[in-house]
Amino acid sequence: MKVAFPYMGTTVIYKKLLELLGHEVIEPPEPTQRTIDLGVKYSPEFACFPLKVVLGSYIEAVEMGAETIVTSGGHGPCRAGFYGETHKKILKNLGYDVDIIVFDAYKRDKMGTIKRVLKVKNGKSWITVWKAINVVYAMAKALDRIEKRIEKMRAYEVHKGECTKAWKTIKEWFDHDVKTIKDVEMTEMKSHKLLDEIKLVEVPEEEKIRIGIVGEIYVVMEQSINLRIEETLGNLGAEVERSQYLSEWIDYNIMPGAARKEHELYILKKGEKYIEEIIGGHAKQTVGHIVDYAERGFDGVIHLMPFACLPELVSQSIIPTIGKEHNIPVLTLSIDEQTGTANTLTRLEAFIDLIRNNKRTKTA
Amino acid sequence: MKVGIPRALLFYYYYPLWKTFFEELGCEVVTSGNTTKELIDKGIKASVPEICVPIKILNGHVLELLDSGVDYVFIPRMMSIRKGEFFCPKFMGLPDMVRHSLPGAQGKVLYPKISSLSDDISDDALYLELGEALGVSHKQIKEALKEGREVWKKFRNKSKEGHTIAEAMDYVMTGKEPEKQEDCTITIGLMGYVYDVYDEFVSMGIVDKLKDMGVRVLTFEMMDEEMLDRELDFMKKRLFWTFSNKLLAAGYKFLKDKNIDGVIHVTAFGCGPDSLIGKLMEIDSIEYGKPFMTIRVDEHTGENHLLTRIEAFVDMIQRKKVKSLKEAE
Repeated sequence: MKVAFPYMGTTVIYKKLLELLGHEVIEPPEPTQRTIDLGVKYSPEFACFPLKVVLGSYIEAVEMGAETIVTSGGHGPCRAGFYGETHKKILKNLGYDVDIIVFDAYKRDKMGTIKRVLKVKNGKSWITVWKAINVVYAMAKALDRIEKRIEKMRAYEVHKGECTKAWKTIKEWFDHDVKTIKDVEMTEMKSHKLLDEIKLVEVPEEEKIRIGIVGEIYVVMEQSINLRIEETLGNLGAEVERSQYLSEWIDYNIMPGAARKEHELYILKKGEKYIEEIIGGHAKQTVGHIVDYAERGFDGVIHLMPFACLPELVSQSIIPTIGKEHNIPVLTLSIDEQTGTANTLTRLEAFIDLIRNNKRTKTA
Repeated sequence: MKVGIPRALLFYYYYPLWKTFFEELGCEVVTSGNTTKELIDKGIKASVPEICVPIKILNGHVLELLDSGVDYVFIPRMMSIRKGEFFCPKFMGLPDMVRHSLPGAQGKVLYPKISSLSDDISDDALYLELGEALGVSHKQIKEALKEGREVWKKFRNKSKEGHTIAEAMDYVMTGKEPEKQEDCTITIGLMGYVYDVYDEFVSMGIVDKLKDMGVRVLTFEMMDEEMLDRELDFMKKRLFWTFSNKLLAAGYKFLKDKNIDGVIHVTAFGCGPDSLIGKLMEIDSIEYGKPFMTIRVDEHTGENHLLTRIEAFVDMIQRKKVKSLKEAE
């Protein structure tokens, strides 16, 4: 069975899981203009941007020979939970013969979930499955630790682009070399050594600029469609931290046990004042993270959202108040197929300039 | 005490209930006026640019009410009216959005959390938290809701006899019986949320325009809820939004029903749930061979453009009908 998956963030992780279960994995290419064009052409005009990009990337995967696509579902009220059904309908209408397996919350459809698990389990023993999950979980944690380090280093590298290059190499190592937990540990050590070799400029603590990135999970995590925001900000001399990392998502949504959910619950608590209920997507987390970044002394926040994203529009409406009350600048960028690089780059440059000037006047 | 109810969103579905409820409690109920260009402009200024038109309109109405000096504005947090389903995230976060983004709204919004198992949202447990702000007891709330429920049921029943919201509202408020429509040759199924279709400014009175052309109009709120619910049984996964499901169910019913000659989908610019419904209908209407048209409206839509399109649509259906009658002879 040739299996593909939606492209988002550090894709080696999903690829590894399916490989360890013995599937032939077709990795969809990183989204390009072609992917976006394909998606836009066949999606509803007012659907959100992630739906369009993911559709484009499915079409590319099917062109490469994928027979099955494995993805996650959702229970609303954000539109993302209905992506699977919409994609199925559109792909069928276009005449593509592909099976989309959507993993929904277990409670919603117990028998269905079990059936789907058995299908993806691919006849492997439960021990193999358990081992595979453990390896992939360890890998997600390791990769996120490395990425967090890179996001801080990038601002100070002597030769621009070195960190990005190293990150690429590291992902390839994880892709090729990892089969067991031991491999994960070895590769992580090797990766940190590689990063140790990158030359950095010394910057005094008070001149460091730290920016938090918050917003809808897909546009925050998928660098190919968010103008490589982390690289861009890094090159402008700012340290970056995202509100979303894959391992944290797994902790909150999939892994059992309350201890792992603590961080997310802490963030939700911070957002309580502004959005009282969970209203879908990551709206409440977004406002929670902004408050958290402000309290941790970050210099600014970039809020990313797909154009007309339902939950994020609620947070966007409230952000000016939060910015004022917590004295932190927030720049909202809404992303879709019309987003222009030059325009956004100018806005980001201006944002960082303002923050830097503000800092200098304060210290002087 | 003056309580303002904005003439927007679910006003068009629940106003009889809420009005009766507050009046029974001895409050003076104030509603904002009809949507106008000036009101929308005020709303747009206060909203984020990409949000949908209905929310911009709501903001306009809330600002008008606040200006008129009401003590409270009633903006319930609509969470769910069916098990496992929700409202659009913007409805769920509406009170938060209003409180934190409209000047002067903080502390003046009454926002009980509405979470119920059916369309009937008159359970007293949902409104208890209003007791403190209004200075009324549990018992009074319960009694007032009982009255409200009666009026609301009367209103819904009138609607289900095939009358528009405006007519049904008139009937329960003033007792005026709706006029009977003369015999019509064409029936059109109109898919659209009550706050789009019945806001005369947004839809530019599309229902009346169709009626003037001798068309019988059918909308989702005129149909039986349980029948609509069964209509979606074939879907493995229903949409998450109850009113969207009602719309979609009505849409499928229109496609299957031989007595319906065509389907028009009225949607507001930037409506998220509608973007999915539209695609589903677009794909399936071809299968059923039924004329289907989408009309997307926003604050810039011109009236002539709308009129031309519905006239063309009705003409086309009329010709198709005449042709098939001739062929049958």
